[in-house]
Amino acid sequence: MRPGRIALWVLAALTAVYLVLPVFIVIPTSFSASSFLEFPPKEWSGRWYENFFTDPVWLDSALASLRVAVLVTLLSLVLGTAAALGMVRGRYRLRALVSGLVMAPVLVPYVIVGLAVYATFLELGLTQTTLGFVLVHTALAVPYVVITVSSSLVSFDRRLEQAAMSLGAGPVSTFARVTLPLIAPGLAGGAVFAFVTSFDEVVTGVFLSGPDLTTLPVQMWSGVRVQIDPTVAAVSTMLLLVTLAVFATAGLLRRRKS
Amino acid sequence: MTGAVDVRAVTKRYPGSLALDEVSLHVAAGEFMTLLGSSGSGKSTLLNVVAGFTEPTSGSVLVDDADITGVPPHRRELGMVFQHYALFPHMNVFENVAFPLRRRKVRGAELRRRVGDALEVVELGALGERRPAQLSGGQQQRVALARAIVFQPRVLLMDEPLGALDKRLREQLQLEIKRLHRELGITFVFVTHDQEEALTMSDRVALLREGRIVQVGTPQELYETPASRYVAEFLGESNLLDEDGGLLLVRPQHLRIGPPDGPGLRAVVREVIYVGGGLRIEVERPGGQRLVARTTVRPEELPRPGDEVVAHWSEHDSVNVPA
Ligand SMILES: Nc1ncnc2c1ncn2[C@@H]1O[C@H](COP(=O)(O)OP(=O)(O)O)[C@@H](O)[C@H]1O
Ligand SMILES: [Mg+2]
Repeated sequence: MRPGRIALWVLAALTAVYLVLPVFIVIPTSFSASSFLEFPPKEWSGRWYENFFTDPVWLDSALASLRVAVLVTLLSLVLGTAAALGMVRGRYRLRALVSGLVMAPVLVPYVIVGLAVYATFLELGLTQTTLGFVLVHTALAVPYVVITVSSSLVSFDRRLEQAAMSLGAGPVSTFARVTLPLIAPGLAGGAVFAFVTSFDEVVTGVFLSGPDLTTLPVQMWSGVRVQIDPTVAAVSTMLLLVTLAVFATAGLLRRRKS
Repeated sequence: MTGAVDVRAVTKRYPGSLALDEVSLHVAAGEFMTLLGSSGSGKSTLLNVVAGFTEPTSGSVLVDDADITGVPPHRRELGMVFQHYALFPHMNVFENVAFPLRRRKVRGAELRRRVGDALEVVELGALGERRPAQLSGGQQQRVALARAIVFQPRVLLMDEPLGALDKRLREQLQLEIKRLHRELGITFVFVTHDQEEALTMSDRVALLREGRIVQVGTPQELYETPASRYVAEFLGESNLLDEDGGLLLVRPQHLRIGPPDGPGLRAVVREVIYVGGGLRIEVERPGGQRLVARTTVRPEELPRPGDEVVAHWSEHDSVNVPA
């Protein structure tokens, strides 16, 4: 092998290690018997996993996150698909403005979103509510759905819709039986991004959380800030597994399709 | 018989172009009508106006005397076949053909029987389980045909359905489409830019040019008595001669090449080629105009490039063309 190639391999390996390094720290730490975050652990145990499944604070926040993320996924799929259809197919003057507005939430720093939302939601009584979280997270997730669904729509052959119509399918039937199944991979990709965006969201979550409702990432954050609770490492490990499972499933589904 | 189509003074204006300019056309019930024209002449636009995908700027479309101008495509009961098949890639062949029947609430044994019959008609009976991607181009177009006729539309519209196929397959499917037309007895409106295809398949041909119909008639009428120089030149090879203010058309198979001392138009041989069992002789007149003669009989003396000859024809083989 030429020296250049060797250097390239080394660089690639170092980058890969750098990217997964946190995982190698977090997983062993989660199995520590110590009451502090400890790496490497001197003694092993599963007590922090047990703590997660028995402590209502942890369980409640996990369930809250799950509930919010599922609702956000559904809502942002509907809104994002509708927006993508309008952006890809519409012919109107303000198209650039509309796409700018739809994409804005990913460009505006989350801290600013959190602050603005906190001020208004406090007055409306929406902080610490599922509805409040769903509204904010949906705004953050919609752009990802728009991106994935748009790219599916751009490559979609519209003559298939014309064919369906000529065969007697009305607009709803055409969309449900022809368009939707064929842009489904885009929707699936958008769903994964939307779910992860919500489930993983901590910045606006800090503003909206409180004793009534705290999402899992915010609970983890206070878990290390207030007291050093190694349950955080156990939760991280489980989240890692869940994320891997989600992406592996999406990948397998995609491979089976093609 | 039903399925008469009436296009009345249809105009379609796009920003910057006039795709159809006051087009009127009557297609009789059960007729095989071909819309012929070069690319951009407005064939697809006219077909899409009939199908309901394009709304005309003005004018109206009638099927069996009912005005359908504002009716959405899915309520028109017209079959349509597209150049690139437009089969649903996520459904197998059976489900593609079943699609229009399911929309009409046909179920169970009747659904299977009618899909089976339609697939038999296009000779694809055994391929119901296949996905479109597993079929050849010709097979895909047959599925598209089966899908477009299975619900017994009054009219079948086809936009260059054979355009994506190679020559052999195209000729084979031309015959099958003709057979289908005979068997079904419904109206066919067929779009092509290929004049040979139009002449061999159609009962009548409408030739379009820049959004207007320049002539409608049987293939024979268009070929033998073209209404203008454009029509004469569009259909087959033609020799057009200026003759005191008018135009005279002599088709290559009627033009004779003889020795220079005989009567006729003086010319010099430029090319002699064997084609399809005969000869194609191209000669040049003093002004530079080229004439083409085709013959299946071999003259005693084969002309060679550079030879002085005369081109002549019998009176009854020439046609006056309005200039
Ligand atoms: N959607 C459209 N927008 C603008 N111009 C169009 C559109 N569709 C067709 N045209 C124009 O109308 C004319 C006729 O097009 P078309 O009917 O597709 O021709 P053909 O099928 O005979 O090739 C062309 O000049 C084309 O550019
Ligand atoms: Mg066309």
